[in-house]
Amino acid sequence: MEITKNVQDNTATLFLAGRLDTMTAPELERELQDILPNAKDLVLDFEQLEYISSAGLRVLLSAQKIMSKQGRMRITHVNETIMEIFEVTGFVDILTIE
Amino acid sequence: MRKVLGITLGGLQKKTITLVLLMLLIMLAAFVGVSAYQNKMLIHVVGETRIDQQQAISQVSEETMHEMLEGALVTSTTLRANLEDSEFSEIINNVYMLQTMAQGLLESRNSFDPLQAAPPDPAIDGTPSAMVLCEEGVDYTQSEYLGIIAHMSSAMIAMQGNSDKIDACYIGLADGTDLCVDEKAANKFDENGTLIPFPVRERPWYTGAIEADGLYFTGIERDAFSKRLMVTCSIPVKLNGETVGVAGLDIVLASMADFARADTAQGSCAYVINDRAQVILGPEANGIFEVSDQASDLHCMGNDELSRFVDQALRESTGLKTITIGDKPYYMVGAPMPTIGWAVISVVDKEITEQPKHLMLSEYNKINDEASGKFSDGTARTRGTSLIILALVVIIGLCAALIAARRIVNPIEQMTKNIVRSSQTGELFKMEECYRTDDEIELLAEAFDDLSKKAKRYIGEITEITAEKERISTELSLATKIQAAMMPHIFPAFPERSEFDIYASMDPAKEVGGDFYDFFLVDEDHLCMVIADVSGKGIPAALFMMASKIILQSCAMLGQSPADILAKTNEAICSNNQEEMFVTVWLGILEISTGKLTAANAGHEYPVLKKASGSFELLKDKHGLVIGAMDGMRYKEYELQMEPGAKLFVYTDGVPEATNGDKELFGVERMLTALNGSPDTGPKKILENVRSAVDDFVKDAEQFDDITMLCMEYKGKDGR
Repeated sequence: MEITKNVQDNTATLFLAGRLDTMTAPELERELQDILPNAKDLVLDFEQLEYISSAGLRVLLSAQKIMSKQGRMRITHVNETIMEIFEVTGFVDILTIE
Repeated sequence: MRKVLGITLGGLQKKTITLVLLMLLIMLAAFVGVSAYQNKMLIHVVGETRIDQQQAISQVSEETMHEMLEGALVTSTTLRANLEDSEFSEIINNVYMLQTMAQGLLESRNSFDPLQAAPPDPAIDGTPSAMVLCEEGVDYTQSEYLGIIAHMSSAMIAMQGNSDKIDACYIGLADGTDLCVDEKAANKFDENGTLIPFPVRERPWYTGAIEADGLYFTGIERDAFSKRLMVTCSIPVKLNGETVGVAGLDIVLASMADFARADTAQGSCAYVINDRAQVILGPEANGIFEVSDQASDLHCMGNDELSRFVDQALRESTGLKTITIGDKPYYMVGAPMPTIGWAVISVVDKEITEQPKHLMLSEYNKINDEASGKFSDGTARTRGTSLIILALVVIIGLCAALIAARRIVNPIEQMTKNIVRSSQTGELFKMEECYRTDDEIELLAEAFDDLSKKAKRYIGEITEITAEKERISTELSLATKIQAAMMPHIFPAFPERSEFDIYASMDPAKEVGGDFYDFFLVDEDHLCMVIADVSGKGIPAALFMMASKIILQSCAMLGQSPADILAKTNEAICSNNQEEMFVTVWLGILEISTGKLTAANAGHEYPVLKKASGSFELLKDKHGLVIGAMDGMRYKEYELQMEPGAKLFVYTDGVPEATNGDKELFGVERMLTALNGSPDTGPKKILENVRSAVDDFVKDAEQFDDITMLCMEYKGKDGR
């Protein structure tokens, strides 16, 4: 998986590409650990993301919980496959998907 | 490796010795080669010097001899030519004197009375006397001029007696008579005492003088009586312009030959040649040119070189020339005799002049050969000594190599022995005094010492780790069993209930999994079925799964609706979920008597339903959020009416997300196809079908996720 980030002050945008699964989720978790403490507005761009597993969902859940307290987190350009996963798992209810 | 007398055959010892031996042999070969080359060069130089010196000796000797000869021979030859010339001049003068006397007497013949001339008288043989000789049939007493000529008798006797070169003198007359003076009266007679006739006018000196009409020298002729070789000098005697006779002098060659005799002993000889190139005088023996009446002139010897030389000699002094006659070279000097137009030729055998050279050369060679012999002896002795020294060097070298090799090999052998022992007994390899060689062996021993200690430590560590792994493995396998035992695993699960049939399976990807299924009777009429999937895998997932399962079952046993059970469970889990793990759950409760199924879905896969007379189809039910994610979640539940023969199939994402070698997902469509392959068989068979379809698809690829399935067939209140 490839992660490209664009951080300006307390606004951060992460572009994810590839698969977000058990193997790659820790990578995103490390990135978020760096960004989250100062972030007010976090955007995750899923345009290039192909798949997300339960491990990936867990990282999103953690980030969502933190961002709910200090600002907001948005997920953009979600494709059909991932949207279906969000729907099946009920994550559509807690995530802000644009 | 075999050992003989403490020497290891093969191995380092042999290699060291071989190396030393090889080096020694190379040194030996180089030494022998250099020696041989030096020897060869020395012999070559000596040989060349010898040849150079021989040439120098030859050249100097030859040049010296040449110069000496040239000086001496030219002088002596010229001298001799002059001497001979004067001798012959004397003879010529005598002949002229005879002619003058004879002509004078004949012109004034009327003033004299003729004298009675007498034939030879053998009684006075040995005393010079005048005697009459005549041709056959001629009467000398009738001769007109003989009596006149006879007046010359005493003068002729004196002339003959005064010169040892003049053998005889005579006046031959045209009437066939001859007045002759010599001391050999006896030889004028034959053995019978008869006077031998003398063919005066046929003798060469007579005819020659007439023909020459002046002074004439015959060639070498034999005397008519003595048969000795001689040359005659003659001249016509004229009266009133008419030739009436010939005056002649016999020159005995033997009488002049002694001049050459002395020289012959010294290796040189002299020849007198006349103007016709005939050899007149020469040594009696050992001469290269013959002196005889048969001798032809020197031009006729077929030797151009000689011919030219002779021609030059008759003209002028030739200087020293080298002329080859036959195969032999000769030094020759010619000098002319100007008065009579003859020449003297001195001849020296070149071989004789080269004798000193040969002597010097042979002496030189003798000295040289002696020196060479001494040198060879010396070389041989030196060679012998060198060979002995070389042999000693080889032997000492080998011994030294042997000792050195033993010193190198001994600690290595000891080390090898100790290493083998420590590898067999597990003892530590210890540094010993014999390894302290202050070289690579000591380093090697230290390295082994270190290695041995490290190996012991590593073995200890590995043993510990292995034991730890063993323990964990044992614990994990125990955990696997416990996990498996936690889920209903005895089938048929409800043999006494004919209204439904249920079957489930869980195959964890690792020893323990995060998936689980469960089913239990809440009461006599309610069957609760659960399938769940914890986020993550392995032991954390398994622990979370255990907690979730127990909480779910506890909540379910309270007899609440599926939505309430999920909400309660979510609350329980969220209250203490530091790791933010979550679990997807599908929970359904079947009212056995009616076939009414009430279910709720917390983020789990869509269930699959088969109506009594239909195929398996995905049921897109309403979904709530996964359990454990967010506190205070509410879930929606839904109801389904199951007719007898309807089947419910629930599963975890391990089924549709099973992946093959090409990273392809098995997918929901393939799952449905597998289910519908034989939709009417029992739950157990259906699960087996799906499982084998997954296996066929995945083939050898590794199983990444737990695969969990549950299938329930509702058979109706009365069962079928």
